[in-house]
Amino acid sequence: MPGIEPQEFLFLLPEMFLAAVGMTLLVAGSIGKGVNHRAIEGWSLAGLGLTAVLVFWIKGQAISGQLLLAEMFIHDNYAIFWKILFLVATALTVFLSARFVEEGRYRPSEYYSLLLLATTGMMLMVSGFTLLSIWISLELMALSSYILAGYFKREKKSNEAALKYFILGALSSGILLYGISLLYGATGTIQLAELAARLPGAQAANGMLVTLGWIFLAAGLLFKVAAVPFHVWTPDVYVGAPTPVTAYLAAASKAASFAILVRIFYMGLTPLVLDWQLLVASVAVLSMVWGNLAALTQQNVKRMLAYSSIAHAGYILIGVLAVNEIGLWALMFYLLAYTLMTLGAFGTVILLERREYAGETYADYAGLAQRAPLLAALMLIFLLGLTGIPPTGGFFGKFYLFAAAVESGWTWVAVIGVIMSAISLYYYMGVVVYMYFQDSERTTPVPLRAPVLVGAIGFCALVTVLLGILPGPFVELAKASLLPLP
Amino acid sequence: MFDWVIDLPILSVVCFLPLAGALVVILFMRNSPDRSVRVFTTAVVGIDFLISIPLWFAFERQGDLFQFRESHEWIETLGVRYEFGIDGIALLLILLTTLLGFLSFLSSWSAIEIRQKEYYTFMLLLQTGMLGVFMAMDFFLFYVFWEVMLVPMYFLIGIWGGPRKLYAAIKFFLYTLFGSVLMLLGILALYFYNSTGLLRWGGLGNERSFFIPQFHEISNQIPPDLQFWIFLVFFVGFAIKVPMFPFHTWLPDAHVEAPTAGSVILAGVLLKMGTYGFVRFSLPILPDATVQLLPWMVGLSIIGILYGALVAMAQRDIKKLVAYSSVSHLGFVMLGLFALNSTGINGGVLQMINHGLSTGALFLLVGVIYERRHTRMIADYGGISSEMPIFATVFLIVTLASIGLPALNGFVGEFTILVGVFNRVWWWAALAVIGIVLGAAYMLWMYQRVFFGPLTNEDNKGLADLNIRELVYLLPIVVLCFWIGLYPKPFFRVMEKPVDYVAEKVDAAYTRAMMAEATGHSEQTED
Repeated sequence: MPGIEPQEFLFLLPEMFLAAVGMTLLVAGSIGKGVNHRAIEGWSLAGLGLTAVLVFWIKGQAISGQLLLAEMFIHDNYAIFWKILFLVATALTVFLSARFVEEGRYRPSEYYSLLLLATTGMMLMVSGFTLLSIWISLELMALSSYILAGYFKREKKSNEAALKYFILGALSSGILLYGISLLYGATGTIQLAELAARLPGAQAANGMLVTLGWIFLAAGLLFKVAAVPFHVWTPDVYVGAPTPVTAYLAAASKAASFAILVRIFYMGLTPLVLDWQLLVASVAVLSMVWGNLAALTQQNVKRMLAYSSIAHAGYILIGVLAVNEIGLWALMFYLLAYTLMTLGAFGTVILLERREYAGETYADYAGLAQRAPLLAALMLIFLLGLTGIPPTGGFFGKFYLFAAAVESGWTWVAVIGVIMSAISLYYYMGVVVYMYFQDSERTTPVPLRAPVLVGAIGFCALVTVLLGILPGPFVELAKASLLPLP
Repeated sequence: MFDWVIDLPILSVVCFLPLAGALVVILFMRNSPDRSVRVFTTAVVGIDFLISIPLWFAFERQGDLFQFRESHEWIETLGVRYEFGIDGIALLLILLTTLLGFLSFLSSWSAIEIRQKEYYTFMLLLQTGMLGVFMAMDFFLFYVFWEVMLVPMYFLIGIWGGPRKLYAAIKFFLYTLFGSVLMLLGILALYFYNSTGLLRWGGLGNERSFFIPQFHEISNQIPPDLQFWIFLVFFVGFAIKVPMFPFHTWLPDAHVEAPTAGSVILAGVLLKMGTYGFVRFSLPILPDATVQLLPWMVGLSIIGILYGALVAMAQRDIKKLVAYSSVSHLGFVMLGLFALNSTGINGGVLQMINHGLSTGALFLLVGVIYERRHTRMIADYGGISSEMPIFATVFLIVTLASIGLPALNGFVGEFTILVGVFNRVWWWAALAVIGIVLGAAYMLWMYQRVFFGPLTNEDNKGLADLNIRELVYLLPIVVLCFWIGLYPKPFFRVMEKPVDYVAEKVDAAYTRAMMAEATGHSEQTED
């Protein structure tokens, strides 16, 4: 095992810094009783911003692909791309949480601290290069998320969400770890490149062990991205968790899970590509079909968005499945667009919330176009984007995800994908029907109380449209951050 | 005189002027009274129509196939470009769009009473979407416009529609979106076949591009089985839009529930996008598949002609009757295109314009009378020609144009189609003629029940005749009906080159197929 040079810790500076900010907030919140909520919010944002600066700074400190800290971590453009995406998503989540901070019913310092720690976990995970460093970072992200989901501690639904999420999440982490141990038993390594090199031999010697190992590993990861049949936790957790947390889980957490899924599949399970392609294809199809069909019947907007996020896991898996350059950058591009659209859509839900859980039934949207034209227009952009109608990033991303499938010969998966995304129009437009086609009993304008929140939603909408009209620079960015193809 | 047109990005101006107007309304006219929004937006489409007219004069009949070209990088790494350009067919459809757009804005002044600002904004966005579809020369760009346009139409039906508007709006949106997403796969298959290749069929290794003329160029190199699949998915997309039997079921709902202007645009322009798709993409890019599937296409066209006419005859609602007559008329257009010779395609393209004019006018007229009486049931009328003589006259002219009376536009179109079809297979034409007879029957019968006879219904007494504004938006159509009917030559001349181009491709494929069949037969007999 190669030794560790002290200066290699430099590369973990962003993560260490962010973790330090998170823990400082926690301490500050518990000693200072009267700590200003706004200040905590400000400190979190400042911390995220500085972390982003650090990420950019270390980008230039080594060439892409360098292994660090006894090969536990890798420094590459792929990781940098995702780290920036997570930081943006977390910053937007902080803005989304603004109202909920103002109301001040729960301690804000813990909330922001956990949010930052979860983000630290994601950032570490995406640059992890051994199965164990990945697993530990994943646990940091997951444990923080469990608590966040139960943050409304006096609400039954929130408790239920946290408990469900925790039990099923712990089970999936266990399965993941079991898969890792099986693979270690078969190959004697947890480092991804080594694993890829030793897998063919191990497969010949001990096929059963390898098969069980990678299937358990894949199952654990597919649980995190909420793909069918590992999705059952999603609707209840999304509905029960505080809405900003739901947004964070649906956007950042999903993006992080996809990032690491691709890293492991493309760099570690490379020799098994033909095997896992079959698994990914079937899971993608199941997710698209079941997610969309189940979303059709929902009466609650958050639950509908939960099923839509399952369906989107299916579309995005097409990018994994294709194993070509288009598929990989389209996946990255689409997750970028998806993150913004999802955060925006949940942000709109938050704006409409009167108490913890209002703003969720379709009826809450009735006549919104009259009562708050701006808000309705923004929501329309997100819904069109999620459906995949131009000119939005959602359309462009989907177009190239399907393109990847056509190019690599998985046309039948693309056929199912386009048909299901046409079907998804029905439930997304269900919200539009209420917003634009129906009159509300209440005609008073909706007060846009939180300018910060409206600003964040506006930003999401702007970028969603920008990604659809001028996707070029973003495509370039994703293309410069690709992993080597298996 | 019109040379300056060539130096301007005139197509972009025509296409995006309505969008700019919509942005002005959204950003600067939030508190303006409805009246000024109405006047402003109508002025915008009026100006848009005026600046589209020079295209007609500056277009060189014998010049390049595609003119007024605009070409810019858009998404460089993917070969997606911003390419605008029009041939004679697109030119005619663009003029039809700007004209009908303007007229339908005028017709909305009295028809739309609620949420006017939103209404005119969506109408403007719709204009931009439709114009872009006819101007785009990049398949990606085309697809973007093709889908974008669905959104404002969905809102127009959903907000300002009739009693069953919600059902009609989502049905329209779902049907057309379903067709277009499948079409997307066909576009992707063409794109990859032209460049890096598809797993099963390989590829030509050309530069990555969505440029439509590039696809025309490689049409002979696309293997027939690949052509077959692409044709199939294109067919679903375009046939839903046309709509061809049996994909027509969204049309009566959408037409009946849409507000008058929405119906005019739907019938006048949106349906033409389907037929335009066939003549621009399916026929010239996939000629072998066209020939292979010819019996099916012709069969569905003829069924559409007859079925549409028969169902129209049974309608009690005037608007629904006109809607079903569209199914029948569009069947004619399709039959003309699938005659696969230049006469038939000429007739088909001209009939697209004719149908846009006469059916657009019929919907406008139905809207006029609906605003006065709030009913569209034939049985509620009768004998109103005595109350509204001018209205009755205009209605008669348009009815006769629609059924193809000589000296009016419909005759020229249908006759040309029939000649073309007769030259291909005579009995196709024979079957189609039955449709003309039926068409005359249901239209004249409807006219008779509405306008003639005794004035029995008390409510119809004292109905006001057409006012100046209504005359203003109806007269241009009447004039055009006569112009095309009496002197269609300029129209045929402008579409001559592109039509010949398409006809040559498909005719060659047809001849090849016939030859292959003949040799196949002779080989069999030799065995």
